[in-house]
Amino acid sequence: MPALAAAGSIGHAAPDFALPAAIGNNVRLSEYRGQPVIVSFWSSRCGLCARQLAALDRYYGTYRSSGLIVLGVSVDDDAQHAQDYAHAHVMAFPLLLDSAKAVSRAFGIERLPSTVLIDRGGVVRFLHSDDGAGDDSYVAQIRALLDDKFGGL
Amino acid sequence: MNDTRSLPMPMNIASRSSLLVATLAVALAAGLAAPLWAADAPPPVAAASGPAASAEGSATRSLDEQIQDLKKDVIDLNKDLFMLEEELLFPANTQVAVFVSMDVGDFFALDSISLKIDSHEVSNYLYTPREVTALLKGGVQRLYVGNLRSGQHELVALFNGKGPHERSYRRAASVRFEKGVGAKYLELKITDHQRAQQPEFEIKDWE
Repeated sequence: MPALAAAGSIGHAAPDFALPAAIGNNVRLSEYRGQPVIVSFWSSRCGLCARQLAALDRYYGTYRSSGLIVLGVSVDDDAQHAQDYAHAHVMAFPLLLDSAKAVSRAFGIERLPSTVLIDRGGVVRFLHSDDGAGDDSYVAQIRALLDDKFGGL
Repeated sequence: MNDTRSLPMPMNIASRSSLLVATLAVALAAGLAAPLWAADAPPPVAAASGPAASAEGSATRSLDEQIQDLKKDVIDLNKDLFMLEEELLFPANTQVAVFVSMDVGDFFALDSISLKIDSHEVSNYLYTPREVTALLKGGVQRLYVGNLRSGQHELVALFNGKGPHERSYRRAASVRFEKGVGAKYLELKITDHQRAQQPEFEIKDWE
Protein backbone atom coordinates (compact mmCIF):
# COMPACT_ATOMS: atom_id res chain seq x y z
CA MET A 1 0.00 0.00 0.00
CA PRO A 2 1.70 3.27 -1.06
CA ALA A 3 1.86 5.77 1.80
CA LEU A 4 0.43 9.28 1.56
CA ALA A 5 1.75 12.20 3.56
CA ALA A 6 -1.22 13.20 5.69
CA ALA A 7 -1.35 16.86 4.65
CA GLY A 8 -0.42 16.04 1.07
CA SER A 9 -3.13 13.42 0.76
CA ILE A 10 -5.86 15.95 0.04
CA GLY A 11 -6.92 15.68 -3.57
CA HIS A 12 -5.42 12.21 -3.95
CA ALA A 13 -7.15 8.85 -4.09
CA ALA A 14 -7.53 7.33 -0.64
CA PRO A 15 -5.51 4.12 -0.30
CA ASP A 16 -7.77 1.09 -0.30
CA PHE A 17 -7.76 -1.23 2.68
CA ALA A 18 -9.53 -4.23 4.14
CA LEU A 19 -9.66 -4.63 7.90
CA PRO A 20 -11.41 -6.88 10.39
CA ALA A 21 -14.04 -5.24 12.58
CA ALA A 22 -13.98 -5.43 16.37
CA ILE A 23 -17.62 -6.50 16.13
CA GLY A 24 -19.01 -7.87 12.88
CA ASN A 25 -17.67 -8.45 9.42
CA ASN A 26 -14.54 -7.41 7.57
CA VAL A 27 -14.70 -4.06 5.77
CA ARG A 28 -13.10 -2.97 2.51
CA LEU A 29 -12.99 0.77 1.78
CA SER A 30 -13.41 0.43 -1.99
CA GLU A 31 -16.79 -1.25 -1.51
CA TYR A 32 -18.12 2.14 -0.44
CA ARG A 33 -17.12 3.87 -3.67
CA GLY A 34 -20.03 6.12 -4.60
CA GLN A 35 -20.69 7.08 -0.99
CA PRO A 36 -18.91 9.70 1.10
CA VAL A 37 -16.77 8.05 3.78
CA ILE A 38 -15.31 9.39 7.02
CA VAL A 39 -12.33 7.40 8.34
CA SER A 40 -11.35 8.26 11.89
CA PHE A 41 -8.15 6.91 13.43
CA TRP A 42 -8.36 6.30 17.16
CA SER A 43 -6.91 4.43 20.09
CA SER A 44 -8.60 3.04 23.20
CA ARG A 45 -6.17 4.99 25.39
CA CYS A 46 -6.83 8.37 23.78
CA GLY A 47 -9.41 10.50 25.57
CA LEU A 48 -9.82 12.94 22.70
CA CYS A 49 -10.50 10.01 20.38
CA ALA A 50 -13.45 8.95 22.54
CA ARG A 51 -15.00 12.42 22.15
CA GLN A 52 -14.31 12.34 18.44
CA LEU A 53 -15.93 8.93 17.99
CA ALA A 54 -18.99 10.03 19.99
CA ALA A 55 -19.38 13.13 17.78
CA LEU A 56 -18.97 11.06 14.62
CA ASP A 57 -21.58 8.62 15.91
CA ARG A 58 -24.02 11.53 16.16
CA TYR A 59 -23.23 12.64 12.61
CA TYR A 60 -23.61 9.08 11.42
CA GLY A 61 -27.04 8.88 13.04
CA THR A 62 -28.06 12.07 11.25
CA TYR A 63 -26.61 11.45 7.80
CA ARG A 64 -26.48 7.66 7.34
CA SER A 65 -29.82 7.73 5.55
CA SER A 66 -28.24 10.12 3.05
CA GLY A 67 -25.47 7.63 2.35
CA LEU A 68 -22.74 8.71 4.75
CA ILE A 69 -20.36 5.96 5.86
CA VAL A 70 -18.20 6.28 8.99
CA LEU A 71 -15.34 3.91 9.80
CA GLY A 72 -13.25 4.02 12.97
CA VAL A 73 -9.77 2.54 12.60
CA SER A 74 -8.06 1.55 15.84
CA VAL A 75 -4.29 1.74 15.95
CA ASP A 76 -3.99 -0.07 19.28
CA ASP A 77 -1.00 -2.41 19.39
CA ASP A 78 -3.14 -4.94 21.19
CA ALA A 79 -6.34 -5.61 19.28
CA GLN A 80 -7.93 -6.88 22.48
CA HIS A 81 -7.90 -3.34 23.93
CA ALA A 82 -9.77 -2.07 20.91
CA GLN A 83 -12.24 -4.93 21.10
CA ASP A 84 -12.88 -4.26 24.77
CA TYR A 85 -13.45 -0.59 23.97
CA ALA A 86 -15.80 -1.49 21.11
CA HIS A 87 -17.89 -3.69 23.39
CA ALA A 88 -17.98 -1.05 26.13
CA HIS A 89 -18.78 1.89 23.81
CA VAL A 90 -21.14 0.60 21.16
CA MET A 91 -21.07 2.74 18.02
CA ALA A 92 -23.53 2.51 15.15
CA PHE A 93 -20.62 2.40 12.69
CA PRO A 94 -17.88 -0.26 12.40
CA LEU A 95 -14.78 0.00 14.57
CA LEU A 96 -11.93 -1.66 12.70
CA LEU A 97 -8.69 -3.19 13.93
CA ASP A 98 -5.35 -2.10 12.47
CA SER A 99 -2.82 -3.45 14.95
CA ALA A 100 -0.16 -3.62 12.24
CA LYS A 101 -0.82 0.09 11.54
CA ALA A 102 -0.55 -0.53 7.82
CA VAL A 103 -3.61 1.60 7.08
CA SER A 104 -2.65 4.52 9.31
CA ARG A 105 0.80 4.47 7.71
CA ALA A 106 -0.74 4.43 4.24
CA PHE A 107 -2.78 7.51 5.14
CA GLY A 108 0.28 9.18 6.69
CA ILE A 109 -1.41 9.59 10.08
CA GLU A 110 0.93 11.12 12.64
CA ARG A 111 -1.33 11.96 15.57
CA LEU A 112 -4.58 10.94 17.18
CA PRO A 113 -7.34 11.51 16.66
CA SER A 114 -7.10 12.07 12.92
CA THR A 115 -10.10 12.10 10.66
CA VAL A 116 -10.12 11.82 6.88
CA LEU A 117 -13.14 12.77 4.77
CA ILE A 118 -13.36 10.99 1.43
CA ASP A 119 -15.73 11.95 -1.38
CA ARG A 120 -17.93 9.69 -3.48
CA GLY A 121 -15.12 9.24 -6.00
CA GLY A 122 -12.72 7.91 -3.36
CA VAL A 123 -10.66 11.11 -3.17
CA VAL A 124 -9.46 12.56 0.15
CA ARG A 125 -11.07 15.99 0.49
CA PHE A 126 -10.55 17.02 4.10
CA LEU A 127 -8.23 16.02 6.90
CA HIS A 128 -8.53 16.89 10.59
CA SER A 129 -5.86 16.17 13.16
CA ASP A 130 -7.93 17.23 16.15
CA ASP A 131 -11.05 16.26 18.05
CA GLY A 132 -13.10 19.05 16.52
CA ALA A 133 -15.90 16.88 15.19
CA GLY A 134 -18.31 19.05 17.17
CA ASP A 135 -17.38 22.06 15.03
CA ASP A 136 -19.70 23.44 12.42
CA SER A 137 -16.97 23.02 9.83
CA TYR A 138 -17.49 19.26 9.98
CA VAL A 139 -21.17 19.62 9.17
CA ALA A 140 -20.41 21.90 6.23
CA GLN A 141 -17.81 19.45 4.93
CA ILE A 142 -20.07 16.43 5.36
CA ARG A 143 -22.83 18.28 3.53
CA ALA A 144 -20.42 19.19 0.73
CA LEU A 145 -19.49 15.50 0.39
CA LEU A 146 -23.13 14.44 0.41
CA ASP A 147 -24.00 17.12 -2.15
CA ASP A 148 -21.16 15.79 -4.31
CA LYS A 149 -19.60 19.19 -4.78
CA PHE A 150 -16.34 17.63 -5.96
CA GLY A 151 -15.57 16.50 -9.45
CA GLY A 152 -13.58 13.36 -8.61
CA LEU A 153 -9.87 13.05 -9.39
CA MET B 1 -2.12 -2.88 -29.66
CA ASN B 2 0.87 -2.68 -31.97
CA ASP B 3 1.58 0.97 -31.33
CA THR B 4 1.44 0.48 -27.56
CA ARG B 5 4.14 -2.23 -27.68
CA SER B 6 6.74 0.44 -28.29
CA LEU B 7 6.32 1.75 -24.73
CA PRO B 8 9.72 1.64 -23.04
CA MET B 9 8.53 0.20 -19.75
CA PRO B 10 5.40 -1.24 -18.22
CA MET B 11 2.94 1.34 -17.00
CA ASN B 12 1.56 0.84 -13.58
CA ILE B 13 -2.14 1.06 -12.86
CA ALA B 14 -1.94 4.58 -11.45
CA SER B 15 -0.22 6.00 -14.51
CA ARG B 16 -2.58 4.10 -16.76
CA SER B 17 -5.56 5.52 -14.92
CA SER B 18 -4.12 9.02 -15.18
CA LEU B 19 -3.62 8.53 -18.90
CA LEU B 20 -7.17 7.33 -19.31
CA VAL B 21 -8.61 10.15 -17.29
CA ALA B 22 -6.57 12.65 -19.29
CA THR B 23 -7.55 11.01 -22.57
CA LEU B 24 -11.20 11.02 -21.65
CA ALA B 25 -11.03 14.62 -20.46
CA VAL B 26 -9.32 15.77 -23.67
CA ALA B 27 -11.67 13.72 -25.78
CA LEU B 28 -14.77 15.04 -24.06
CA ALA B 29 -13.42 18.58 -24.12
CA ALA B 30 -12.75 18.23 -27.83
CA GLY B 31 -16.19 16.80 -28.39
CA LEU B 32 -17.92 19.46 -26.35
CA ALA B 33 -15.83 22.22 -27.87
CA ALA B 34 -16.91 21.19 -31.34
CA PRO B 35 -19.32 23.87 -32.56
CA LEU B 36 -22.89 22.76 -32.96
CA TRP B 37 -23.52 25.75 -35.12
CA ALA B 38 -21.36 28.32 -36.83
CA ALA B 39 -19.88 30.94 -34.53
CA ASP B 40 -21.32 33.80 -36.54
CA ALA B 41 -24.73 32.26 -36.79
CA PRO B 42 -27.43 33.38 -34.37
CA PRO B 43 -27.95 31.08 -31.38
CA PRO B 44 -30.81 28.64 -31.79
CA VAL B 45 -34.08 29.77 -30.34
CA ALA B 46 -35.68 27.55 -27.72
CA ALA B 47 -38.84 27.07 -29.68
CA ALA B 48 -37.18 26.38 -33.00
CA SER B 49 -39.58 24.73 -35.34
CA GLY B 50 -39.48 22.57 -38.42
CA PRO B 51 -36.19 21.88 -40.18
CA ALA B 52 -34.15 23.99 -37.71
CA ALA B 53 -35.28 21.86 -34.75
CA SER B 54 -34.58 18.60 -36.54
CA ALA B 55 -31.11 19.83 -37.60
CA GLU B 56 -30.32 20.70 -34.00
CA GLY B 57 -31.59 17.31 -32.87
CA SER B 58 -29.41 15.47 -35.36
CA ALA B 59 -26.39 17.56 -34.35
CA THR B 60 -26.96 16.59 -30.70
CA ARG B 61 -27.32 12.93 -31.69
CA SER B 62 -24.12 13.16 -33.69
CA LEU B 63 -22.29 14.64 -30.70
CA ASP B 64 -23.66 11.86 -28.46
CA GLU B 65 -22.44 9.26 -30.92
CA GLN B 66 -19.00 10.88 -31.02
CA ILE B 67 -18.80 10.83 -27.22
CA GLN B 68 -19.86 7.17 -27.14
CA ASP B 69 -17.24 6.32 -29.76
CA LEU B 70 -14.58 8.10 -27.73
CA LYS B 71 -15.63 6.26 -24.59
CA LYS B 72 -15.42 2.96 -26.45
CA ASP B 73 -11.94 3.87 -27.72
CA VAL B 74 -10.83 4.68 -24.17
CA ILE B 75 -12.19 1.36 -22.89
CA ASP B 76 -10.43 -0.50 -25.72
CA LEU B 77 -7.20 1.34 -24.96
CA ASN B 78 -7.56 0.44 -21.29
CA LYS B 79 -7.99 -3.22 -22.21
CA ASP B 80 -4.90 -3.16 -24.47
CA LEU B 81 -2.82 -1.45 -21.80
CA PHE B 82 -3.97 -3.97 -19.20
CA MET B 83 -2.98 -6.88 -21.44
CA LEU B 84 0.35 -5.24 -22.22
CA GLU B 85 1.01 -4.68 -18.54
CA GLU B 86 0.21 -8.32 -17.79
CA GLU B 87 2.48 -9.54 -20.59
CA LEU B 88 5.37 -7.38 -19.48
CA LEU B 89 5.10 -7.84 -15.73
CA PHE B 90 4.18 -11.51 -15.79
CA PRO B 91 5.57 -13.18 -18.92
CA ALA B 92 4.10 -16.60 -19.67
CA ASN B 93 7.38 -18.42 -19.05
CA THR B 94 7.52 -17.30 -15.41
CA GLN B 95 3.87 -16.57 -14.60
CA VAL B 96 2.12 -18.29 -11.72
CA ALA B 97 -1.48 -17.42 -10.92
CA VAL B 98 -3.60 -18.67 -8.03
CA PHE B 99 -7.39 -18.58 -8.21
CA VAL B 100 -10.04 -19.11 -5.54
CA SER B 101 -13.43 -20.69 -6.00
CA MET B 102 -16.06 -21.71 -3.49
CA ASP B 103 -18.98 -24.09 -3.66
CA VAL B 104 -22.06 -24.05 -1.41
CA GLY B 105 -20.37 -22.79 1.77
CA ASP B 106 -22.82 -24.30 4.27
CA PHE B 107 -20.01 -25.56 6.47
CA PHE B 108 -17.49 -22.78 6.09
CA ALA B 109 -17.71 -18.97 6.19
CA LEU B 110 -14.52 -17.67 4.62
CA ASP B 111 -12.71 -14.88 6.46
CA SER B 112 -9.20 -14.80 4.98
CA ILE B 113 -6.68 -16.75 2.95
CA SER B 114 -2.97 -16.57 3.48
CA LEU B 115 -0.77 -17.82 0.67
CA LYS B 116 2.84 -18.97 0.86
CA ILE B 117 5.03 -20.03 -2.01
CA ASP B 118 8.30 -21.70 -1.05
CA SER B 119 7.79 -20.52 2.56
CA HIS B 120 7.43 -16.85 1.55
CA GLU B 121 4.11 -15.18 2.21
CA VAL B 122 2.92 -13.74 -1.09
CA SER B 123 -0.68 -12.85 -0.24
CA ASN B 124 -2.89 -12.35 2.77
CA TYR B 125 -6.40 -11.52 1.67
CA LEU B 126 -9.30 -10.54 3.90
CA TYR B 127 -12.78 -11.26 2.55
CA THR B 128 -15.81 -9.06 3.05
CA PRO B 129 -19.33 -10.56 3.03
CA ARG B 130 -19.89 -9.11 -0.43
CA GLU B 131 -16.82 -10.88 -1.81
CA VAL B 132 -17.82 -14.18 -0.20
CA THR B 133 -21.30 -13.84 -1.73
CA ALA B 134 -19.71 -13.30 -5.13
CA LEU B 135 -17.63 -16.46 -4.70
CA LEU B 136 -20.66 -18.45 -3.60
CA LYS B 137 -22.51 -17.28 -6.70
CA GLY B 138 -19.83 -18.92 -8.81
CA GLY B 139 -17.27 -16.14 -9.05
CA VAL B 140 -13.60 -17.03 -9.36
CA GLN B 141 -11.09 -14.64 -7.85
CA ARG B 142 -7.50 -14.28 -8.98
CA LEU B 143 -5.88 -14.15 -5.59
CA TYR B 144 -2.29 -13.90 -6.71
CA VAL B 145 -0.23 -13.49 -9.83
CA GLY B 146 3.54 -13.47 -9.76
CA ASN B 147 6.69 -14.83 -11.30
CA LEU B 148 8.57 -18.04 -10.51
CA ARG B 149 11.51 -19.66 -12.19
CA SER B 150 11.19 -23.15 -13.65
CA GLY B 151 11.47 -26.08 -11.28
CA GLN B 152 9.81 -27.55 -8.21
CA HIS B 153 7.88 -25.26 -5.88
CA GLU B 154 5.51 -25.60 -2.95
CA LEU B 155 2.30 -23.68 -2.41
CA VAL B 156 0.67 -23.54 1.03
CA ALA B 157 -2.74 -21.96 1.51
CA LEU B 158 -4.05 -21.22 4.98
CA PHE B 159 -7.81 -20.78 5.17
CA ASN B 160 -9.37 -18.88 8.10
CA GLY B 161 -13.04 -18.60 8.82
CA LYS B 162 -15.96 -20.01 10.71
CA GLY B 163 -16.67 -23.70 10.47
CA PRO B 164 -19.67 -25.74 11.55
CA HIS B 165 -21.42 -24.39 14.66
CA GLU B 166 -19.83 -20.92 14.20
CA ARG B 167 -16.50 -22.15 15.51
CA SER B 168 -13.25 -20.58 14.37
CA TYR B 169 -11.81 -22.79 11.70
CA ARG B 170 -8.26 -22.86 10.35
CA ARG B 171 -7.11 -25.31 7.77
CA ALA B 172 -4.07 -25.51 5.54
CA ALA B 173 -3.71 -27.14 2.16
CA SER B 174 -0.48 -27.55 0.25
CA VAL B 175 0.69 -28.76 -3.11
CA ARG B 176 4.06 -29.30 -4.74
CA PHE B 177 4.07 -28.32 -8.35
CA GLU B 178 6.43 -28.22 -11.27
CA LYS B 179 6.80 -24.87 -13.00
CA GLY B 180 7.59 -25.46 -16.64
CA VAL B 181 8.02 -23.11 -19.57
CA GLY B 182 4.34 -22.13 -19.75
CA ALA B 183 2.19 -20.18 -17.35
CA LYS B 184 1.08 -22.13 -14.27
CA TYR B 185 -2.47 -21.85 -12.96
CA LEU B 186 -3.51 -23.21 -9.57
CA GLU B 187 -7.01 -23.17 -8.10
CA LEU B 188 -7.91 -23.20 -4.42
CA LYS B 189 -11.29 -24.92 -4.16
CA ILE B 190 -13.43 -24.73 -1.07
CA THR B 191 -16.27 -27.25 -1.13
CA ASP B 192 -18.65 -28.83 1.33
CA HIS B 193 -18.28 -32.50 2.19
CA GLN B 194 -21.92 -33.35 2.85
CA ARG B 195 -21.33 -36.74 4.42
CA ALA B 196 -18.67 -35.53 6.85
CA GLN B 197 -20.54 -32.25 7.43
CA GLN B 198 -17.20 -30.48 7.04
CA PRO B 199 -15.63 -28.14 4.52
CA GLU B 200 -13.00 -29.49 2.14
CA PHE B 201 -10.00 -27.58 0.84
CA GLU B 202 -8.36 -28.68 -2.34
CA ILE B 203 -5.68 -27.24 -4.60
CA LYS B 204 -6.12 -28.05 -8.24
CA ASP B 205 -3.22 -27.80 -10.66
CA TRP B 206 -4.45 -26.64 -14.05
CA GLU B 207 -2.11 -28.30 -16.51
